Amino acid sequence: MKTEKPNDVLQGTLDLLILRAVSLGPLHGYGVLLRIHQMSGEELLIQQGSLYPALYRLEHQGAITSEWGESENNRKAKYYRLTRLGRERLSEETERWERMSGIINQILRVTPKEI
Amino acid sequence: MNPGSVAFGLASRIRSWMRATAQRRRLERDMELELADHLERLTSDLIAAGHNPHEASRRARIALGPALKHKEDMRSSLGLQWMDQARDDLRFAVRQMRRNPRFAIIGALSLALAIGANSTLFAVVKQLLYTPLAVPHADQLRLLRWWGDGNEAVHGMWGDFDSAPGQGTNSSVFSYPVYQQLRAHNDVLQDLIGFKDDGMNATIRGEAQRVSVEMVSGNYYGQLRVRPQVGRAITEADTVVPGSGAVAVISDGLWARSFGRSPVVVGQTITLNQSVVTIVGVNPPGFTGLKLAQQSPDLFVPLSLQPVIDPKGKASLLTDPGLWWVNIMARSRDGITDLQAQSALNFVLQGAVRSTLTVRRGETMPRLVLTDGSRGLRVPDRVFRMPLLVLWALTGFVLLLACANVANLLLARAAQRRREMSVRLALGAARGRLLRQLLTESVLLAFLGGVGGLVLTYFGRNLLPRLLTEPWQRAEFNTAFDAKVFAFTTIITLITSVLFGLAPAWLSSRLPIGGALKETALQTTRRRKGLSGKALVSFQVALSTILVLGAGVFLRTIWSLGSVDVGFNPDNLLLLEIEPPVSRYPAGKDVNLHMQLEQRFTAVPGVESVAAGYVPYISDNMSNETFLPEGEISDPHRRQAEAVNWVGTDFFKTLEIPILAGRAFGIQDTATSPKVGIINESLARKRFGSTDVVGKRFKADQEKSDWIQIVGVCRDTRYVNLRTQPPAQFFLPFVQQKQVGRMVYQVRTHVPASTLAPLLRKIVQQVDPDLPVTDIRTQRDQINAAMQLERAVAVLTVGFGLLAMSLSAVGIYGVMAYSVAQRTNEIGIRLAVGARPVQVRGMILQESSRVTGIGLVCGIAVALGLTHLVRSMLFGIETYDPPTILVTVGVLVLVALGATWIPARRAAALQPMDALRNE
Repeated sequence: MKTEKPNDVLQGTLDLLILRAVSLGPLHGYGVLLRIHQMSGEELLIQQGSLYPALYRLEHQGAITSEWGESENNRKAKYYRLTRLGRERLSEETERWERMSGIINQILRVTPKEI
Repeated sequence: MNPGSVAFGLASRIRSWMRATAQRRRLERDMELELADHLERLTSDLIAAGHNPHEASRRARIALGPALKHKEDMRSSLGLQWMDQARDDLRFAVRQMRRNPRFAIIGALSLALAIGANSTLFAVVKQLLYTPLAVPHADQLRLLRWWGDGNEAVHGMWGDFDSAPGQGTNSSVFSYPVYQQLRAHNDVLQDLIGFKDDGMNATIRGEAQRVSVEMVSGNYYGQLRVRPQVGRAITEADTVVPGSGAVAVISDGLWARSFGRSPVVVGQTITLNQSVVTIVGVNPPGFTGLKLAQQSPDLFVPLSLQPVIDPKGKASLLTDPGLWWVNIMARSRDGITDLQAQSALNFVLQGAVRSTLTVRRGETMPRLVLTDGSRGLRVPDRVFRMPLLVLWALTGFVLLLACANVANLLLARAAQRRREMSVRLALGAARGRLLRQLLTESVLLAFLGGVGGLVLTYFGRNLLPRLLTEPWQRAEFNTAFDAKVFAFTTIITLITSVLFGLAPAWLSSRLPIGGALKETALQTTRRRKGLSGKALVSFQVALSTILVLGAGVFLRTIWSLGSVDVGFNPDNLLLLEIEPPVSRYPAGKDVNLHMQLEQRFTAVPGVESVAAGYVPYISDNMSNETFLPEGEISDPHRRQAEAVNWVGTDFFKTLEIPILAGRAFGIQDTATSPKVGIINESLARKRFGSTDVVGKRFKADQEKSDWIQIVGVCRDTRYVNLRTQPPAQFFLPFVQQKQVGRMVYQVRTHVPASTLAPLLRKIVQQVDPDLPVTDIRTQRDQINAAMQLERAVAVLTVGFGLLAMSLSAVGIYGVMAYSVAQRTNEIGIRLAVGARPVQVRGMILQESSRVTGIGLVCGIAVALGLTHLVRSMLFGIETYDPPTILVTVGVLVLVALGATWIPARRAAALQPMDALRNE
């Protein structure tokens, strides 16, 4: 049974952001959060609560894979890495996003005279 | 996404789900650790940003949010939520059951009985009616049969043969010359296999016994693609010369029974009807030959051996065009339809008949038909199809009844749980979740029933065939308890749970939120919510009526059969069979042997009298012979054959058949004295028009036979079975025959069979150690065996009827008890304003009578229709049998009254004040 989520539209975006963040190298959960924050020029702070369910979902779908490993000061952390399937999906989603944002941009730019 | 990726994604999902389920504890720990790690990192970053540790930890926790909720979301990301809920539902369902064990036991038990009965019937029906022969690609096998219009040129037959007036003849046997021509000119099927099953006497390792033998053509093993597990198969080389090929392949069963599975069996010899044959191989286990799929013949020998080991008359059957006896089977050929093959072979058959038989004027050609051969000759179909399907249908009713019963119990319980459901809904449970919860409870109940049913099936599956076979014969067939039976049980269990679980669950989950919470105890008016419960009870009563009425008609049938006057005294009569093989006992010698054995048996202490007879009565056997009274000539267009029996001197004394006129056979009737005969009343009336026939003459068999003088007239006796009226019959002394072959000895004695049989067996062994004594039973056993099928059907239907009645009683009791509980206030008021307890009781009884009455009427209407369908299985009663209907109604009314009595008494005994205060 699927529980309806209010941020379904954003969920796809979150998946894309996570895939992109992980594509630059293996990261643990907190690292994903920081990387997205950093990559967005300190502009975007994602909901910490929705991060982990999203990570688990992506791993379940086979887009990323995880492994426990040592982090800097000898602490154990679970690292997520992009899989082949994840890479495919990242490029597909990127393309889709670009097309979508292009369309929306165009809509937003249209002036009354042009119609 | 490309298909490969999709597959990869799916595989990943399955792997992830399996890992999560299998290593659940590790998963939980990982989630815990991961969130803790996140929190720590966040906290230390916040400290680094200048917050004090306490504040940092607080902010971190706020930022991350509730871990419990996240973990739940993470689990549902992995698809675990569904399973967790199912587990919770199951745990709750078990708790519910523990709290109310009586409900669970009644429900599960009734389901177990119903499911068990259904699965048992499924297993037996599958085994007896649908199991294909154990050869590779049995579906390719085609059995050759022929149809005639009743006047066909074929006269002598040894084998299966159906003829019904107006429907012609239908048989699966051919003469050997016809088989050879068909085989030679066949290019539409693969090579034609010839085979024939017969019983023979064998001496195996010094023990004389009766064995079943399949005589097979040389291409048999090659065409069937069956390879012996030990030794070699029978090949064409064994069958080239008629009379040659004294080799045998034995069955796995015989190998185990007589040789202890010793591998040195190959090369050993056995005596088969006085001929020595050498064992060359052992069939693989499971292989049962071509006749039956249930039981294997003991021995397989080449058909070419027939003239040596199984001679019938003087001529070899391999060259005799007159007697039709060989069964023919072949595999289909790719690209040729059955219809094409049939018409091509029919053409060959016409030619073969014309070239081997003289076709007289008015005689017609048999027409060849190709039928499914995958189940051999389909012997069980003829006898068991109808009874088994009827029983199966009845178990279907029992299952429906059990479902209705459980649904009823669930409905009553759902009413009790209205408050619980309302509270759950009010607290925010989704209706779907509630529905699932209730369905889980039903499935659990059905699961218990299904497990019980499987256990019953496991033990019942061999019980049923045992009820159906003759007790003195070795029955080997085991009903398989395989994946299909298991799957069937599972499927009906699931269907059952949905059938009985869905309606109550749906009704419960449809409650208005808070509705039941607002309900007060002060209900004085009845609402129509009890309707579905009562309809269910009526339905149950209707089903019970069908089952009880069914039991009634089958009981009446065996009573009628049991009280049939057979015309002789069947008590204290022991039967045993001796078949002297023709090779050692040619014509004349066999007669002497039987005379000698009769005398020796008579001398045994405790034996009152002995007579051998060719046909034992009520054994589904009969012999006919042309009967020509003086003055009548043979006429091929008239049926002049009458039932006949060749009997010993003391036959009438031994069987206690009264002689009405003239005398019985006596010692004066010998092989050399004038030929004599005795006829029964029916024959006298039928062919002579009066019973005053002593002294008249007739001829038997053919016109050139000797005259036979009638010396006596005896009373009619039943012959083939209990059902058919006594036929016209005549008796001839076997001592005046040239050859009789197998005889059945009838021994009048008060000594128990178990004491007498070894003595008689010893006498036979003294005369001939290779002569087996077989089929020892009493005439009562024989009659009981003739009623076996009817008795099995009656026993089972009575069982179903009793089960149905108890289920209905539970249903009626449940609904009435619930109704009384619901109406407590109402009854209190009635009592308070002056109703007498008798009136209250009457009111409740009336309510239950209405429910029962509707069920009874519907049930009887349906049952009468169904009885009409099974009328061929009935005996001695009409399909519309008022006594049976009356008894059925009476019994069910009593059951209904009994079940209502307790609730009614409880209602009448209510104290008005208590009832009014009742919450």
